[in-house]
Amino acid sequence: MSSQPPPLETQSSAPPSALLTFANVSKWYGQVSALMDISFAVRGEVVGLVGRNGAGKSTLMKLASGLLRPSEGQVLVCGDDASTARARAQLGFCPDLDRLYERQTGREFVAWMLRLHGASAAAARQRAGDVLQELGLGEHMHRRVCEYSKGMRQRVRLAQALAHSPKILLLDEPMTGLDPIARHELAQQIMTLARNGIGVLISSHVLHELEAMVNRVLLIHQGRLLAEGRVAELRGQLRGQPHRLRLISECPRDLAAALVPLSQVVGMQLSPNAVEVSLSGEPGFYGALTKIAAARDLVSEAVPLDDSLASVFGYLVG
Amino acid sequence: MGFFSATIEITRQTLRQLLQNRMCLVVGFALVAIALIGYLLGGHPPRELKGSHLYALMAWWLLGTVLLPWTTLYFGVQAVHGDIEDRSFQYLFLRPVSRAAILLGKWLAVALLCSVMFTVGAVLLFFAFAARPELWPLGVETEMAVAFAEAMAWAAFAYASIAVLFAAKFQRPLVFGAFFIVGLQMFIGNMPAQAGIRVLTITDPLRRLLLDGIDPDPRLARVLWPSEREFKPDLIGHPLLNLSIIIAVTLVLALWFYTRSEYDSRSRE
Repeated sequence: MSSQPPPLETQSSAPPSALLTFANVSKWYGQVSALMDISFAVRGEVVGLVGRNGAGKSTLMKLASGLLRPSEGQVLVCGDDASTARARAQLGFCPDLDRLYERQTGREFVAWMLRLHGASAAAARQRAGDVLQELGLGEHMHRRVCEYSKGMRQRVRLAQALAHSPKILLLDEPMTGLDPIARHELAQQIMTLARNGIGVLISSHVLHELEAMVNRVLLIHQGRLLAEGRVAELRGQLRGQPHRLRLISECPRDLAAALVPLSQVVGMQLSPNAVEVSLSGEPGFYGALTKIAAARDLVSEAVPLDDSLASVFGYLVG
Repeated sequence: MGFFSATIEITRQTLRQLLQNRMCLVVGFALVAIALIGYLLGGHPPRELKGSHLYALMAWWLLGTVLLPWTTLYFGVQAVHGDIEDRSFQYLFLRPVSRAAILLGKWLAVALLCSVMFTVGAVLLFFAFAARPELWPLGVETEMAVAFAEAMAWAAFAYASIAVLFAAKFQRPLVFGAFFIVGLQMFIGNMPAQAGIRVLTITDPLRRLLLDGIDPDPRLARVLWPSEREFKPDLIGHPLLNLSIIIAVTLVLALWFYTRSEYDSRSRE
């Protein structure tokens, strides 16, 4: 057996090639199509995976981890087919299921997983203890898993995914069960991993937390990759989609009167110092707004109300 | 991690998990209780039954036919299907070890645990009867303990392979196990001694293994196995070969299903 895996901090900087590649991947369960023609790549970065329940997020994660085989296309982990042992050695996966080996202690479980990665018994125990300590389970690592709270169980799942220092990390709803401080710490840790060249693919329903840590997002809906890119870029691609804007003004009534003739404005709401406008998405609004602002000094600030990931996702999936 | 090392590691961990299972304690108590019952029964033996008869009857019918098959089936299903059912198998399948090593490790753990438990149980029961010298007019026949201990060990390995096959293939492996033990074995296993189809069961080669090992008198043979009235020594054949073939074939099938199945997919539902 080989010795202890290197600590996370010693990973090399971003490799030139993709750590995780989906090439025209489709997955069917009999007649049911779970994923259709998905293609993307993850390098040393944090990529968010967003989709509603049943969109295909978990299927995509399981394909990436080699637990499922694609019906069509290819999934590569560090250049190797995801179903091979070489690929699994480079990959860490934190599944969303809340099942563990209940009678083992947290440390025993993580150490066992490390043993299957080839670590010696002593190295596995040491490394498992270190990782659990880093994740805040230091005091509880000798208790049985069945005695853990939901948050502690989540940390054990994370520990088994991180312990062998993978090059690509798949996190399926990792924030579930964590308190706000732990969520913040995990987000920081995930960003640190990406800075060290580790690719992270993370799915979550807590969209604003994803937004704070991801470099890119993959929006998946009904088994199809709907959009891919930075949140702001995605929002920019949504031409023709309605969106909302808050225009700060000292004279909101006058501003509203000036906006009424514009065809792009489909709705307005007045407040004491602002006008919230709903836009149809037709081009030309910002040009007209600039003219209004220049001519009558009615607008002091324009704040987009729906550049958030949740809004983008909401627009895309209707 | 190499195939052999992974198998041993999985065996070690599965053994630890099985030993923490309450059923282990229950079976241990049952084996001790059966030995105690044997000792008490030996004080008031039914007429004309010798110690060897009493021992063979209890060892075969209680241990070999009921307790061992069900216990091994239960542990085998727990070890393999328990993971699949609660989806914790994902943690193992994510490691850079082959699924074949995982399944073989689990099979080996179940087989070792059950073979040790029931070998000890068979010897314990033998000592319970051996403690009654009046039951052994020709002296204590220790070869009976050896023959039954050997049969128990082989039976544990064979039933463990059946258990992991059913656990790897079926969603309700205990139901199929019950059909195999209660239905198939009792039906086919009690066909006339010449019926070739009997080699598909585990009881038949075990029975022949015991007939070869203990050389029972005709009365004991009839009491143990009513269907063996026409039994002749040349029908013993090669019971160990038959058992080995059963173990090998079922294990290969189990490995085939275990390594190729997508246990998390909807198609399995």
